[in-house]
Amino acid sequence: MRLSAEFIAGVMAGGVLGYLVDGLAGTKPWGLIVCLILGFCAGMLNLMRAAGLAKPARYDEKP
Amino acid sequence: MASPIEQFQIKPIIPVLNFTNSSLFMVVAAGAIVGGMLLATRRRALVPGRGQVVAEMLHDFVASMLRDATGKEGMKFFPLVFTLFLFVLTMNMLGMIPGFFTVTSHVIITFALAMLVIGTVVVYGFMRHGTHFLGLFTPSGVPGWLLPFITVIEVISFLSRPISLSLRLFANMLAGHIALKVFGGFVVSLGAAGGLFAVLAPLPLLMAVALTALEFLVAFLQAYVFTVLTCIYLNDALHPGH
Repeated sequence: MRLSAEFIAGVMAGGVLGYLVDGLAGTKPWGLIVCLILGFCAGMLNLMRAAGLAKPARYDEKP
Repeated sequence: MASPIEQFQIKPIIPVLNFTNSSLFMVVAAGAIVGGMLLATRRRALVPGRGQVVAEMLHDFVASMLRDATGKEGMKFFPLVFTLFLFVLTMNMLGMIPGFFTVTSHVIITFALAMLVIGTVVVYGFMRHGTHFLGLFTPSGVPGWLLPFITVIEVISFLSRPISLSLRLFANMLAGHIALKVFGGFVVSLGAAGGLFAVLAPLPLLMAVALTALEFLVAFLQAYVFTVLTCIYLNDALHPGH
């Protein structure tokens, strides 16, 4: 449940961002396509970080 | 048989004010927290009574969580974190009482809480560190041609945080309450079927009892996870990458 939320959130954030970019720049449908793919990558990154397979984000490191 | 998702329906109580059953339970939760805390701290003694022990344990629990994640300077966010923890915990626990409405099973509520947290992180991060705060999106030791892609992915990963924060709490509460309702429905329909089926009816009842215990654990655990992640995100605002 926890890991799936990480992945879904990445894809959703990418989709919303792409939709907004399209709306603002009028580049339908390329913003959505590109950002959805990037969101997929971000979701995968979230997933691997949550599972401890990838290095934690720079902003999560202890000072 | 009643539908398992009927329990999440929003019903207006005072239509003019848009006051719904969701608002009612939020008010009840806030009232329960404030009332309970006032009651617990009314008679402050060196040797605490039962209520005071509970209040002190809650305080120390959240305070140590925040201090571990953000260090000493994070303690200025203690009122926010403590309020969030108590609010989410109380709403989850109120939802476990049969017939009560679970406020946290609506994604818009949890999303609003998550946006509050991320908004605090972003605003405070920019106030404190200025544009240096943006440096947290560029990981070190990446070859130059890869940097734009990594930065965009890191930005999207950061944007996905409020979504994952809200989705986790919402999905856990929704799924748990639906599972409880479905197993409760099995008891009734098996019993009503009669004959051999009626003999089997206690089995889903046992399952529902076990699930209720699990749901109490989930209700606490999700409030805890929400608070821990809030502390971790606040840590970004205080100490973005060096």
